[in-house]
Amino acid sequence: MKPRFPLGLPAAVAAFVLLAGCSEEPQVVQYEQGKYQGKTDSRPWEGGAFNGDKTAWERALHDRVRSQNEYRRVE
Amino acid sequence: MARMKFLCDAERCIECNGCVTACKNEHEVPWGVNRRRVVTINDGVPGERSMSVACMHCSDAPCIAVCPTNVIYHTEEGVVLHDKDGCIGCGYCFYACPFGAPQFPNGPAAFGARGKMDKCTFCAGGPEENHSDAEFEKYGRNRLAQGKLPLCAEMCSTKALLAGDAAELSDIFRERALRRGKGFEAWGWMTAYGKDKEEAK
Amino acid sequence: MLIKKSAAPGNASRQLPGPVARHLGATMDRRAFLRRSGLGAGAGVLAAQLPYNLIGSADAANPGAQSATGGEEVRRTVCTHCSVGCAIDAIVKNGVWVRQEPVFDSPINLGAHCAKGASVREHGHGEHRLKYPMKLVDGKYQKISWEQAINEVGDRLLKIRAESGPDAVYWIGSSKHSNEQAYLMRKFVSFFGTNNMDHQARICHSTTVAGVANTWGYGAMTNSYNDMQNARAMLFIGSNAAEAHPVSLLHILHAKETGAKMIVVDPRFTRTAAKADYYARIRSGTDIPFIWGMLYHIFENGWEDREYIRQRVYGLDKVREEVMKWTPDKVLEVTGIAEEQVYTIAEMLAKNKPSTVVWCMGQTQHTVGNGNVRAMCILQLVLGNVGVSGGGTNIFRGHDNVQGATDVGPNPDSLPGYYGLATGSWQHWCRVWGVDYEWVKSRYASEELMTKSGITVSRWIDGVLENPADIDQPGNLRAVVYWGHAPNSQTRGAEMVEAMKKLDTLVVIDPYPSATASMAAMVRKDGVYLLPAATQFETSGSATASNRSLQWREKVIEPLFESKPDQTIMYAFARKFGFADELVKNIKLVKDKQGWDEPEPEDILREINRGTWTIGYTGQSPERLKLHMQNMHTFDVKTLRAHGGPCDGDYFGLPWPCYGNPELKHPGTPNLYDTSKHVMEGGGNFRANFGVEKDGVSLLAEDGSASKGAELQMGYPEFDDVLLKKLGWWDELTDAEKAAAEGRNWKTDLSGGIIRVAMQNHGMHPFGNAKARALVWNFPDPVPLHREPIYSPRPDLVDKYPTHEDKMKFWRLPTLYKTLQDKVRDISKEYPLIMTSGRLVEYEGGGEETRSNPWLAELQQEMFAEVNPKDANDAGFRNGDYIWVESPTKARLKVRAQVTQRVAPGTVFLPFHFSGWWQGRDMLEFYPEGAAPIVRGEAVNTATTYGYDSVTMMQETKTTLCRVSKA
Repeated sequence: MKPRFPLGLPAAVAAFVLLAGCSEEPQVVQYEQGKYQGKTDSRPWEGGAFNGDKTAWERALHDRVRSQNEYRRVE
Repeated sequence: MARMKFLCDAERCIECNGCVTACKNEHEVPWGVNRRRVVTINDGVPGERSMSVACMHCSDAPCIAVCPTNVIYHTEEGVVLHDKDGCIGCGYCFYACPFGAPQFPNGPAAFGARGKMDKCTFCAGGPEENHSDAEFEKYGRNRLAQGKLPLCAEMCSTKALLAGDAAELSDIFRERALRRGKGFEAWGWMTAYGKDKEEAK
Repeated sequence: MLIKKSAAPGNASRQLPGPVARHLGATMDRRAFLRRSGLGAGAGVLAAQLPYNLIGSADAANPGAQSATGGEEVRRTVCTHCSVGCAIDAIVKNGVWVRQEPVFDSPINLGAHCAKGASVREHGHGEHRLKYPMKLVDGKYQKISWEQAINEVGDRLLKIRAESGPDAVYWIGSSKHSNEQAYLMRKFVSFFGTNNMDHQARICHSTTVAGVANTWGYGAMTNSYNDMQNARAMLFIGSNAAEAHPVSLLHILHAKETGAKMIVVDPRFTRTAAKADYYARIRSGTDIPFIWGMLYHIFENGWEDREYIRQRVYGLDKVREEVMKWTPDKVLEVTGIAEEQVYTIAEMLAKNKPSTVVWCMGQTQHTVGNGNVRAMCILQLVLGNVGVSGGGTNIFRGHDNVQGATDVGPNPDSLPGYYGLATGSWQHWCRVWGVDYEWVKSRYASEELMTKSGITVSRWIDGVLENPADIDQPGNLRAVVYWGHAPNSQTRGAEMVEAMKKLDTLVVIDPYPSATASMAAMVRKDGVYLLPAATQFETSGSATASNRSLQWREKVIEPLFESKPDQTIMYAFARKFGFADELVKNIKLVKDKQGWDEPEPEDILREINRGTWTIGYTGQSPERLKLHMQNMHTFDVKTLRAHGGPCDGDYFGLPWPCYGNPELKHPGTPNLYDTSKHVMEGGGNFRANFGVEKDGVSLLAEDGSASKGAELQMGYPEFDDVLLKKLGWWDELTDAEKAAAEGRNWKTDLSGGIIRVAMQNHGMHPFGNAKARALVWNFPDPVPLHREPIYSPRPDLVDKYPTHEDKMKFWRLPTLYKTLQDKVRDISKEYPLIMTSGRLVEYEGGGEETRSNPWLAELQQEMFAEVNPKDANDAGFRNGDYIWVESPTKARLKVRAQVTQRVAPGTVFLPFHFSGWWQGRDMLEFYPEGAAPIVRGEAVNTATTYGYDSVTMMQETKTTLCRVSKA
């Protein structure tokens, strides 16, 4: 009797390869996260009126937001 | 960190187009390009409501996702801006946007018949030096860098359109909602809480 | 980042808020419809101006962004587009208006603007303005110099004056002039020698002013936009505030939010109605039956304020008799409003007090306009709502300074301050002007014509066309000067071009003279002159908002192109006419950049202050007004009163009446006739202006009704030297005051001493304390009566409620009522639809100015008519089709059909801001080159019909008839 093992090996390999197509791997293309490719922008508090003072800028915006609320001036 | 948002109060919007005009004025936006517009439903019948719509500066912005040249970006404050220099005028962002915010000026342009995309910048300019001529020409004024909010909201005739930090806007709106003390006659109430059979208001 | 959504939502449309999705899908609103239909036209016009790049390049005329501070100046001004009075900070760099910032500090608008207010910077560029004087030569406008213009126009007018007398020239002034310009114009035309002058108030709120003043004293909004925040219920009738006064909605919606009930009664479901708690649709022109219908329920249920009526109202019994005839079935028959609705509205007003009422041109522009407004006054008197914070009659005026121009401007029936035209009035003003009364009299054709009211702007065309034998003056009009007034705002446009054709000379002085210019060029070859006036942003001066507050505008920029401010042009003509020195006797002249003499606005206001005692335009010195403009943040938004700061105690803008000299420091009057306040704190009561008794019944108020702190808590007559002596208060005057007050009353005492003693020392009102008149015996209908419009859709009701008898001499002209109504009794068979008109938010008045502004023009690109789907289907056209709207005058308007339920079946609505098309034809070729507005369309008034109010000659625009067909 010839040992059957050597015969079985290619079959097992073949079976493994064939079955690999039935795995639970994702079926969609993996997209890369897009990376911003334009020019860099300065931040609003940089330069100009606020000269990098972010706190002052936030305070200014906070005041401005409140001016949209007429309840602040009425009653 | 401040998170910039617009909020339009449909109980107050009277479709006066002050916001639309303020935008045109501040940024010298030409005829045919509308960074902001007012839409009205049920025009002329009970239930008529208007709402001012521009770029909503989405947190998860579809335009950023689809831009093939990757020139749309979020600022730290959550404002969605873009670099016109890299824009190819393909219009894909317009397909993706749920609000029709991206605009394409007429005239000879970089790509086909379309111009470079233009849209509401939350009055935050764009990727050029703050307050430079280049920034103004491409994107309009940068009010945010002056510590001011978008002019459309600042000039709203009934303070229906609000702009600024999301948390602070919520506070303003919550106060109004409480004072109104209204239930189902408020616009959107039935959509949110109504029974299926009843028509959404 | 959105790359892939793994869980697909069940319903894709959920990504959109429902309403937005629906809009983008199927529905079509008015604006989308117009934008689409008009895209071709608009884009064509503007293609040449469009920069390739999105943003216009930075150049000298339009500098781009600059650093936040570099060389920029801030000038505070006020929007010129309506009577709300929204403050604006104009940013100017190198003389160019580069930006516009909101003024959050303003207690009136808190930074808010509508489309028009947000667009005013465009005036600083004015691409479509008239740039230099022009003259019609052989049917085309040609450029001429200012010198030539002043000389030729002056010579022509002087020639006409010499040949036909001063009354042959008609002067149409403007509600868009500042107080100073309007006042100077009254004086200027008086010195020319005629009372033939008028302005927009005639066709806007003249019935209100006459009706309200005759009811209780002053012809103005009693409270303020701000005060509406105190109302518990608000009735809007004939007012579309959301479009006509958008920023007023800031206060109104705030009030609604805090619980006030908002009610709208209108033939259209307006945008204001869309915000209301309750809406009722009324047939146009039936306001009186509706108001009597409400009063019927109020009386039936005992909701009236009996104590208030007893103390403060005269003649209500007669009104009650008429009211009780209006049973609910009759009200329904005439107005179309069911009993249940009328009852509900009456109850809402009666049980949510204080309640206020708002009306605009929907009430005033009728043949029964004066009756409409008096009925509203009576409603408020019955409910005890007048002189009460949160109540009152909030009459929203139209133009930015129509209140001021009415108060001190070119009115055909009165000198500044409602002094009238009696000899004593002339003598008062001659003393103020520092000119000899005899000299002024010599300027007029006769003393009779000097004291007789002139022709009104609504009828100037009849002054030209009427048979001279039937005119109550020496002859026809031969020249007309349009000085800041649109022609397309007056009715019977088809006849207007005939009048224009017949004129000897037509002069137009305006930043945007083009509607008049094009109509004239369509029918004439010569004899037309166009002179470029500057806008209010190119000069300084004060304007009176609807709530009677005065605001001072700083000059933003130098006049553009070759334009000149109106006061400078008036002075130049005064020199030509030979009365320059008299015109500016007390007024300083300053040189402008080109060396022209300009009468200084501050000095003109000081002269107004010195003479206008009747209505308290005396305390508002330029210094006080400027102080208010710089300290807006110190004023309370609800009360308009300053707490602390340099204006402590004042009400914002010193709302008139602000009695006495500026030194008296009267704070202005926020709410008229308010007895809960001391007179020196802005309190008051009804005016004793109609005598002290009528037919044996006292007209003075009853005991206990005087203002707070008044020394005499009773009714009393107005103050004069005799009363002061009787009361023993004469010696409280200084010697100088005594000399000035001797033989005078509080209105003619130039020292202000009588007012000072009465108010400051004794808490008494200088104009006395009387009852309001529910019964105005000097009017044709002392109790307002319903009368069908002349062109009525209901012949059966014409028989029941006929109009007035014809008048032979009425404002110098024969005026038809009954004979015409009888003649057209059955015309509704041919013209079955009611034709009515109104405003759009984007445009203002005649619209040439706003239709020349690209930011606004883009929003409304075509003239349209709102037609109910039923009428459209019956006539066989669809939404967006061109249709003909034809009126009984046979004039036809070609407009787009906007098929909508906003109007009821049987009603067609047209906006009145358009001009530039004539019965289907674009008039572009007739415009002066470069001065045509961007958007042109049919003027509704080309087709409007005859019909005038029986007191003020207000034109009927809101109810006439038409038919529609597919074009």
